[in-house]
Amino acid sequence: MIRIIHFREKCVGCNACVEAAPFRWRISRKDGKSILINSVEKKQVFSLLTGDDELSANILAANNCPVKVIKIEKFQP
Amino acid sequence: MEKVKLLSPVGSFEALQAAIQGGTDAVYFGIEQLNMRARSSNNFTVNDLPLIKKKCASDKVKTYLTLNTIIYDHDRSLMKSILNAAKKHKIDAVIASDHSVLNYAKQLGIPVHISTQANVCNIDSVEFFSAYADTIVLARELSLRQVAEIVKQINRNGVKGPSGENVKIEVFAHGALCMAVSGKCYLSLHSDFASANRGACVQNCRRPYIVKDKESGIEFEVDNEYIMSAQDLCTIGFLDKLIKTGVAILKIEGRGRAADYVYTVTKCYREAIDAFYEGKYTQSKVEKWMDNLSSVFNRGFWGGYYLGKKLGEWTDSPGSKATKTKVYIGKGMRYFSRNKVGEFKLETNQLSLGSDLLITGPTTGVIYTTANELRVNDIPVDVVKKGELFSISVPQKIRPSDKLYKLTYSE
Repeated sequence: MIRIIHFREKCVGCNACVEAAPFRWRISRKDGKSILINSVEKKQVFSLLTGDDELSANILAANNCPVKVIKIEKFQP
Repeated sequence: MEKVKLLSPVGSFEALQAAIQGGTDAVYFGIEQLNMRARSSNNFTVNDLPLIKKKCASDKVKTYLTLNTIIYDHDRSLMKSILNAAKKHKIDAVIASDHSVLNYAKQLGIPVHISTQANVCNIDSVEFFSAYADTIVLARELSLRQVAEIVKQINRNGVKGPSGENVKIEVFAHGALCMAVSGKCYLSLHSDFASANRGACVQNCRRPYIVKDKESGIEFEVDNEYIMSAQDLCTIGFLDKLIKTGVAILKIEGRGRAADYVYTVTKCYREAIDAFYEGKYTQSKVEKWMDNLSSVFNRGFWGGYYLGKKLGEWTDSPGSKATKTKVYIGKGMRYFSRNKVGEFKLETNQLSLGSDLLITGPTTGVIYTTANELRVNDIPVDVVKKGELFSISVPQKIRPSDKLYKLTYSE
């Protein structure tokens, strides 16, 4: 399992994460920032647990993020 | 000849108040992320617009909204909602470069200023954009002669904007310069996937570099290792020549800068412009203004590309060459308006008699003062220690939202 964490406040809505992992990210029509699909929010930080099959695409999303607001962690249940 | 207008950068409510205090004619600011300081400045939100407008209206300061990044399809709904909000709150103009913004602003009837990101360098481009805009910001890489020629041709050909009046030309007068032609730098995108043209520049050009021969591995010594970091533009020494080109608006760069920077630079240029029209623009005044401008953030100054000849002057240090640096020491508590005394709490460091102080706040703006008398529990003291409440005389009202800084000097 992996945990994807999105510090959304500093997001600049560049779309890089959507390009890298379109099944997991989309751009909000309301504020133009990206949304981590199916994530839960706690104090403006969004996170989600998902399978290892999504790792490589989301690592790319994290690396390509210009403001480095995406973190990927290994998760041991 | 109509008096040239001064336009100041605003990245926070502190800077907004500072620009108004400094005597600016208009301010420009970004809201949300579709502007060239998406990374570096604390941008306002749509909800801040009424307060910005209210603060500016009482001082008859015009408000310009920057919306000048590249716009992708996924940005369109945000771009439209920002422009709708700008229309609702009667923002005076939008600074834009992308055609989608020009088009939608025109539909809404919001006046448009063409951003320097559009790189307007010739009269044909001015004519092209005149279908959308009454004010055009020229590229920063033109010489005074080229700027004057464009203004002359606008007047000769009668190039009119949507309002029916001749197109006005705006140029940068002061602030940081890009090492690339504005809007054409891909260095940050290449190294960090952070597009400068989406406001996310990581400023690679401001760092030192070495030159290395790939074949032998020998590193070459370069006189100045900051080979790409341009010094800051400063035109106060030839402001008379700049105004005589016929430009209508002088713009100060720096939405990422602090309130004291905005105040000092705005005030110097306000005084210089007024002095020019009163026939009192003199060399001794220029020297005084240069001293003041050097006291706040700068990378050393040069005249930009206006004077021709030199291709670029590079700075030799990573950060600021400001002769004054500020250290945060405490916050405002309350103000006794009858005897003009402000009470502060010293949160760190210590403060001794005679120190120069800077107070900034969203309503207060910027106040420079000196601690001529320090009192703790109403007893005069020479030194205030960390954690103590103390009072000093301050000419203007201070508030709990204010921050107190100690100024130190370097040569």
